[in-house]
Amino acid sequence: MSISITRRSFVKASVAGAAALSVPGFLTRAHAATPLTMQAAWINDAEFCGYFAAIDDGLYSEAGLDLTYLPGGPDVIPESSIIAGRADLALTTPDTTIKAIVDQGAPFKIIGAQYQKNPIGIVSLAKAPIKSPEELKGKTLAVPPVNVISVEAMLAINGIDKSEVNIVPYAYDPTPLIKGEIDASLDFTTNVPYTIEQQGEKAHSFLLYDFGYKTYNDTVVVTEETLAAKRDLLVAWLRASRKGWDANFADTAAYPPKFAETWFKGTGRTIDNEIFFNGAQKPLMEHAGGIFTMDEAGIDANIETLNRIGIKATKDMFDTSLLAEI
Amino acid sequence: MQGLPLSFTDVAKTFTIKGEALRVIDGLTLNCPAGSFTAILGPSGCGKSTLLRLALALETEDGGSVKIGGEDPVIARRSGSVGVAFQDAALLPWRSVRDNVRLPFEVLGTAPDDDQIADLIELVGLKGFETAKPGELSGGMRQRVAIARSLVTDPRVLLMDEPFGALDLILRRQMNLELQRIWSAKRPTTLLITHGVDEAVYLADRVIVLSSRPARVVADIKIPFDRPRGPELLREAEFHGLCDEIGAYLETGREAA
Amino acid sequence: MTGRLTGNWGHLVTAVLIVCLLLAWEIAGQMKLVAGGTLPAISAVILRLIGEFDDYWPHLTATLRTASTGFVIGNLVAVAAAAMFCLWPFSERLFRGINITVFTVPPIAIAPVLVIALDGDTARITLAALLVYFPTMTAALTGMQTADPRVIDLVHAYGGGNFKALYLVRLRTALPAILSGFQIAAPAAVLGAILAEFGSGARWGLGSFLLGSLGRAEPDRLWGIGLTATAISALGYVVAAVAAKWVTGENKALSLTVSQVRAAPAQGRLQSFAMVLAALLFPFLVWQGLIWASGLSPIIAKTPFGVIDYLFLGKTAESAQARLLVALSQTVPITLLGMIAGLLFAFLLSLVSFVSPAIMRAILPFALFTQTMPLVALTPLAVLIFGRGITVTLVITISVTFFAAFVVLAQGFALIPKSAFDLVESYGASTWKKLWLIAVPACGKWIFVAGRLALPKALLGVMIAEWLATGKGLGNLLNQSRGYLDYGMIWSVAVVSILLSVALYQLAELAERLLGNGRVTRD
Repeated sequence: MSISITRRSFVKASVAGAAALSVPGFLTRAHAATPLTMQAAWINDAEFCGYFAAIDDGLYSEAGLDLTYLPGGPDVIPESSIIAGRADLALTTPDTTIKAIVDQGAPFKIIGAQYQKNPIGIVSLAKAPIKSPEELKGKTLAVPPVNVISVEAMLAINGIDKSEVNIVPYAYDPTPLIKGEIDASLDFTTNVPYTIEQQGEKAHSFLLYDFGYKTYNDTVVVTEETLAAKRDLLVAWLRASRKGWDANFADTAAYPPKFAETWFKGTGRTIDNEIFFNGAQKPLMEHAGGIFTMDEAGIDANIETLNRIGIKATKDMFDTSLLAEI
Repeated sequence: MQGLPLSFTDVAKTFTIKGEALRVIDGLTLNCPAGSFTAILGPSGCGKSTLLRLALALETEDGGSVKIGGEDPVIARRSGSVGVAFQDAALLPWRSVRDNVRLPFEVLGTAPDDDQIADLIELVGLKGFETAKPGELSGGMRQRVAIARSLVTDPRVLLMDEPFGALDLILRRQMNLELQRIWSAKRPTTLLITHGVDEAVYLADRVIVLSSRPARVVADIKIPFDRPRGPELLREAEFHGLCDEIGAYLETGREAA
Repeated sequence: MTGRLTGNWGHLVTAVLIVCLLLAWEIAGQMKLVAGGTLPAISAVILRLIGEFDDYWPHLTATLRTASTGFVIGNLVAVAAAAMFCLWPFSERLFRGINITVFTVPPIAIAPVLVIALDGDTARITLAALLVYFPTMTAALTGMQTADPRVIDLVHAYGGGNFKALYLVRLRTALPAILSGFQIAAPAAVLGAILAEFGSGARWGLGSFLLGSLGRAEPDRLWGIGLTATAISALGYVVAAVAAKWVTGENKALSLTVSQVRAAPAQGRLQSFAMVLAALLFPFLVWQGLIWASGLSPIIAKTPFGVIDYLFLGKTAESAQARLLVALSQTVPITLLGMIAGLLFAFLLSLVSFVSPAIMRAILPFALFTQTMPLVALTPLAVLIFGRGITVTLVITISVTFFAAFVVLAQGFALIPKSAFDLVESYGASTWKKLWLIAVPACGKWIFVAGRLALPKALLGVMIAEWLATGKGLGNLLNQSRGYLDYGMIWSVAVVSILLSVALYQLAELAERLLGNGRVTRD
């Protein structure tokens, strides 16, 4: 199937115009800066702390970027935003991105990875802990429908037939887990254990990554067209974003309170929750080569994992040359 | 303003109901000269109402022609020269008496004649009820609103389909008197469809008796009484004789069918 | 009418009942009686709501703005469309596919496409307007068509055309029906706004607040958001209901109108075949046109040919068909069950409202709550109480289907003229006798309108249950496809679910034709 993006420039122009009118809060303007739009993967929480830090500290402006930040949500499929021209780059789940490249010929390139280790994992209660895939047998596990493929892959890698686990939908609310209606759920291990502890329980969790499902998450994805046209801007974005993340990780409790009245205002979550999240995600993101690094071993592990679930990933889907220019 | 002549020439009308063809009128010819008052009698379902609906261009004839003032009824009704009252008052329940009487002006898109409206409401005995809603009126009062409405545009042709059918005898007599008075003053060409033989004889210059379906003219009787006709006419032998004669035509008409 | 609680007594009963229900809720919450305390006490919900009100305010105003804009636009379009359909009946048939599509397309299926095709607020307003359109349009059209034919004749007799009849008679006749449409539309607009906020990455709005709050396992916050949303819808509902009550009194037919059976003009076989063909093709033309106008990539925006290619011709066909068939075999049987359950529930509720308006007024706020509280927030409670099987699916389906049908039925009962009851009452008929002798037969037409509103929604209810609780069928397939950027399957599920709904709609119409044989032919 071929992709035609002939009317894209029209859509892009109107969207950019409308965005400038409707979301002034997300704009940081600098004189003579070049506009660039990023599509995040979820609503505002600590997962995107580094970008908020870089915006507020003027790092994008210094790099000559006028960055528009678009929050995500359940109905926002980040890859769609870059295909539709609403955003220049998107933070995505690599299995979705790569499957789209393989199955539909989507013109995507992965130019960086926020999480070295995917934070999704199996969360259970400490009083009835599930410590390994083996222990999921005969249990009820709630999984967001979009992640079922990942869980089934992890089970297969560990030699477990998926029919041995009762998989039900997960609707973002950990209450059924806390009340024991389900035995475990698939969620961000950086986040939900905090909630469970707030409700007076202790959580136990393990990463899918640690049981063979070795993928990145929040991969930085652009279209080939954007890569060709805006390469310098993307490098500048990677550089400024890395600085933002570095500043944020210098003290994981420092930035979230600064965003209480701005980025995190009215999200329904608490600053303590974000501090916990920020601390928990640090080891999953850090790399000797710097934030966003995609080294040979990491890329190979992703390719191997995805190949095991029948998604034919290849090296050329990852472009590490921009990282090299930082 | 003068009445306009109304003519039905060799009119035919067929309805298709649930796939079956039903010949309601077959080759009927009737001329109502300008300023005349014609009453039509006939058994139920004989097509009397269809005749009136044809004159209003609510139905289209299959054969022959219907003319008002020599022209198509569509033209006559658009120029506001036709007034109509149905068996049912057909009032808008959310409008006051006055606003219901005003309706024809709004449909025609002409300036309402407020004096005329007030006069007619008084004429039909509803003074003081101008702002009442139909739901607050009795059946007879509602029907009188409909009569006032039919006259409000000073019509040159007045078409009435059993306008007093729902009224009790006393009220009906009273309305008959009033209708005669109004008619005498303005002389619109009038076609009155009715079930009441005495009403027809009392009001009309001429009574037409129709056969049952398909409708044909069974009898065409001239009514000789001078106008104005007072209530005492109703007690005269000549009047009753005429009524009996017409009643006989009605019965034979039914037998013939 | 004697025998029915009226006036102050009725209001007292309503008040006592509401207090009792709230008290029961409070006790259940305090004692943690429901699902291990998953149902919070009403006092806890309200105290938290008051304590956090500063947080609510920007979300509340954002949702109010989106919902009310969608409400106004959706209703304007709906009444205009109803007028068009009334003036030119063939246009109603031409647009039928589009109308049912708008009504039945699951918001969970179009939201990702809307979010991509339209910018921020526009997408959210559009979803709210889409949910508003159909109930108001149907109610308005039915209202316009039930105008007194004698008065219409009168307008024609004075040379007035169909426009004059529409303007002077039909619109005003339809007003109570339009207002009852607004009553359904008010919660629908709020729900549409919230659903769109929830999904679209909106920074503000009760939907966004809900999404952020979901992961916190704090039911009192979720219920607080639900109550706030309900308060907004209740505002719209009450305004419409009060207005409806006011105009309905004036509109009550003076006598039962016998619908006049008009002879339909003979229509050639060829002509009617062409009509059917046009009605079938038109939605696809509009679909193709919209895709073209959006300028979106074919990866996201599938045309009719794109879907045919995906399902039947391309390399994806075999696997796509297999997955779709499995999903259908899981979804269809339960949908038929849910359909019956939803309609039955609506009918019972409208009977209650007829027999005892006082009880009804007490239940109404709670019914309204089920319409505006996004189901995703109630999922934990639902699965904890009902599990993840047929029961939870039926409960969710009933909650999605009953409201519109109920409002229409209650309106139908209310339009029955008093004189009809006075007659049987004078023979000493009980309330139930009156019900069976007069009320049920007299609101026949409305029963079918209610059916048409409820039946296609049943599929939506089942799909939501599948998405949130059971993990089976079309609803689950739809959600999984989003994770794969598999827009081919997203569109296929949307198309299949619409076709299914159209089939259910036609089923309701067929029933109407077979059972309600007095239907007026208008064309």
